[in-house]
Amino acid sequence: MPVNAEKEITKLWKSLQGAQGEICNTYYRWRDFAVDMAGESADPMDVGLKAAEAFGQYIGKGLLPRLNLLKGDEGFLGLVARQLAGAWATEGAAVRVEPGENPNEAIIRCTRDPWPTAAKTFGVSMEEVALSREKMFQAMLVDVSLFFNRTLSIEMQKAIPRGEGEWVFKLSLGK
Amino acid sequence: MAKQIFEWDYSSYPGAKKYPNLFTPIQIGNLIVPNRIKYAATEDNLNQHDGFVTDADVEYMRRRAEGVVGGLCFMQGVYMDAARKGQGYVGQAACYDDKFIPGLKKIADAIHSEKAVAGFQLMDCGRVGAVEVPVGHGPSAVPQRLRIFKPMAEMSNAEVKEMVQQHIDAAKRGVEAGFDVMEISGIVGYLISNFISSYTNRRTDEYGGDIRGRMQAVVEIIQGVKEAVGPDIPVGIRLCSEELLDDVGGNSPEESMQSYQIAEEAGVDYISCTLGWQESIYPVISRDIPQGNWLYLAKRAKEHVKIPVQMAYRIFLPKFPEEAIAKGELDFWEMCRSMIADPLMPKKVLEGREDEIRHCVACNLCLARLFRDAPMTCYISPVCAHEHDPDFFPQEVAEDDKKEVMVVGAGPAGLECAYVAAQRGHEVHVYDKRDVLGGTLNEASKAPYGDEELLTCTNFQKTMCEKYGVEFHLGTEVTEGMIEDEAPDAVILATGPVYSKLKGAEEDGKKVVNVLDVLSGKAEVGEKVVVWGNRKPGIGVALKLAKDGKKVTLVGEDKSAGFDINPSFKWRYMIYLRQNGITAYNDCSIEEVGDGEIVVKTLNGQRFPVQCDTIIITERETNEALKATVQSEGIELYVVGDALVPRNLSSAVHDGYRIGLRI
Repeated sequence: MPVNAEKEITKLWKSLQGAQGEICNTYYRWRDFAVDMAGESADPMDVGLKAAEAFGQYIGKGLLPRLNLLKGDEGFLGLVARQLAGAWATEGAAVRVEPGENPNEAIIRCTRDPWPTAAKTFGVSMEEVALSREKMFQAMLVDVSLFFNRTLSIEMQKAIPRGEGEWVFKLSLGK
Repeated sequence: MAKQIFEWDYSSYPGAKKYPNLFTPIQIGNLIVPNRIKYAATEDNLNQHDGFVTDADVEYMRRRAEGVVGGLCFMQGVYMDAARKGQGYVGQAACYDDKFIPGLKKIADAIHSEKAVAGFQLMDCGRVGAVEVPVGHGPSAVPQRLRIFKPMAEMSNAEVKEMVQQHIDAAKRGVEAGFDVMEISGIVGYLISNFISSYTNRRTDEYGGDIRGRMQAVVEIIQGVKEAVGPDIPVGIRLCSEELLDDVGGNSPEESMQSYQIAEEAGVDYISCTLGWQESIYPVISRDIPQGNWLYLAKRAKEHVKIPVQMAYRIFLPKFPEEAIAKGELDFWEMCRSMIADPLMPKKVLEGREDEIRHCVACNLCLARLFRDAPMTCYISPVCAHEHDPDFFPQEVAEDDKKEVMVVGAGPAGLECAYVAAQRGHEVHVYDKRDVLGGTLNEASKAPYGDEELLTCTNFQKTMCEKYGVEFHLGTEVTEGMIEDEAPDAVILATGPVYSKLKGAEEDGKKVVNVLDVLSGKAEVGEKVVVWGNRKPGIGVALKLAKDGKKVTLVGEDKSAGFDINPSFKWRYMIYLRQNGITAYNDCSIEEVGDGEIVVKTLNGQRFPVQCDTIIITERETNEALKATVQSEGIELYVVGDALVPRNLSSAVHDGYRIGLRI
């Protein structure tokens, strides 16, 4: 059969990377627009964080059909962690989920992330990139917590844009 | 003193002898119902969007009332708040003001005109409501899982009390309109079920907490409604016997049974036993669930309460309720979809005309339509929701207009057209090269997950054809010469589709077979199979082969597999494809066929090989055969069903019916 696998995979891979790059670029284009609309008196960081929160809320709603309590609270925590990691991976990040120090914790670790690079192109501060990611995750958990009647929280422990070499988030399921 | 509204004597009817328990009276509250049959309240989206009843809905209900032959006939649940948060369907009837009473009275009168017992249902749609307003209401503001539903606002304590009063006021209006039985809807995600469920009720006031607290609003409604309507009007409630919400922390089955007992303590005169929510992840009423599957829940309900228990949910055949009533495991046979498909179903049972029943095929198109703000439609019944329109029913043609009609093809489109045309007085001859009726439905019914029920369509059509004198010419392939010789007045081409050719598959050594041959067992297939076409015929054969242990890949050009299956059933097929390990390449075509593999090309131009030893063709095209001949002879011509455009069973039946009316 005349299928050149290397060529087909390369073509597909480039398309995927292009699409992932567009996610970041589109986000920052809209951020620029929102900052302009907000006017000179507005702090761009505030606008950026508000945008991250709005994105997180929408993504969080989309998680509801994919989550369940069928495997108990521990299973639920793992599902949530994988959904957060999965959403990030879709954007081009290299992410994995690791067990936390106890069954009510999970670690989300990211060792490569396209967002800081894209942010530089648009002149966005690295601190905003770090806080936006945290805000987005927090916002994603609001409806999930409410829907499943569980208290989920997430804490940023390390951030690539802060020069710490990797992102580390601790996801916790409270009583 | 118990009373009976209308006298019925079933003793001379064959159905009453065959199903004696179904046609035995029963007392609910102080009312004696002559039989055990109930058309359960069902939304139909036929009313005005401001809640006023339409003539279409009145006639829809009149027909169902005729069907229950003296039994209970419930109009759709009404919403009761002027703010319209409780409105779950755009065409739902309202009852928040006296101005609605005249319209509601028309329905009660229509039901009474058929000597049936008129039922009125109070239904605030709660979590699945607010169809016309931005925010819904519920016991707690639990977010929606599905985006099609509106966000929720938590009701204040005062709003809960107001909601209770709205039920009471609406019940009074129902009585004034002339209804005989009151029913509270507490099912599938509507407001009452939201209060009862631990998933959606997280209140800390007297309306929340344990199951007794979560039932408090229900108890107040029951007691208030009972007091308002008086002792002569029975009050019932529909309650979930199992919510099927264990994935989100809903009630346990034990809690559900406690809710039944609390409702009985509060004074309800019967309970309608239901199952699942619209949000449940488990199938309940689709065709993949065997008939009678849920009767054990009615039995369990009977073990927990002393009042009569009613149940619908995949009980389409009278033998199931007959046996269950005989064993003391059920008291009433409820019907929704089976009487959507055939409003006269129980009447036909009574009259010994069971073979004339047009059976529901449990596809849930009716639900899919309602959820998308469209008027009720039935997949299998072209007249459903057109009861008010005489043009939708066969009218006898004048003697001079009677025609000799040749129907080519005895599939669902041809047979439907044939009996309708014959019913109108035409002389109808049906030809088919096969020896059996049903066309490709014979093969389609071999697919798994309940598709054998599709054959009920053929059985019904055969009976109707025989009833109206249609002549069958089976085993006869119609040729051009035959049309010229017979020279009929009209020809109906219901020849089914032509199966598409796959480029490059004609060469020797490449095993390409037709879906019909595979499903009928005429063609053998290998271990690695590619099914070309991702619509229902492709999915059906893919599932059958996967269940036989084959490795199956589905390739099709539609954006998603099952594009032709309505959304209320399609989700089941998507799960079955996954469960059976079937890979579906959608938005894809087969670019090349080679030895032992094919090349799949995506919409974006990516190409990849898929190993296979057999390719099954399910893609279909319009059938042009015989068309030119009929036209050249100047004969009146109609093309119906898949021959016109390959679609599905519903389109075939609806095509055939409409052309049958037109000839």
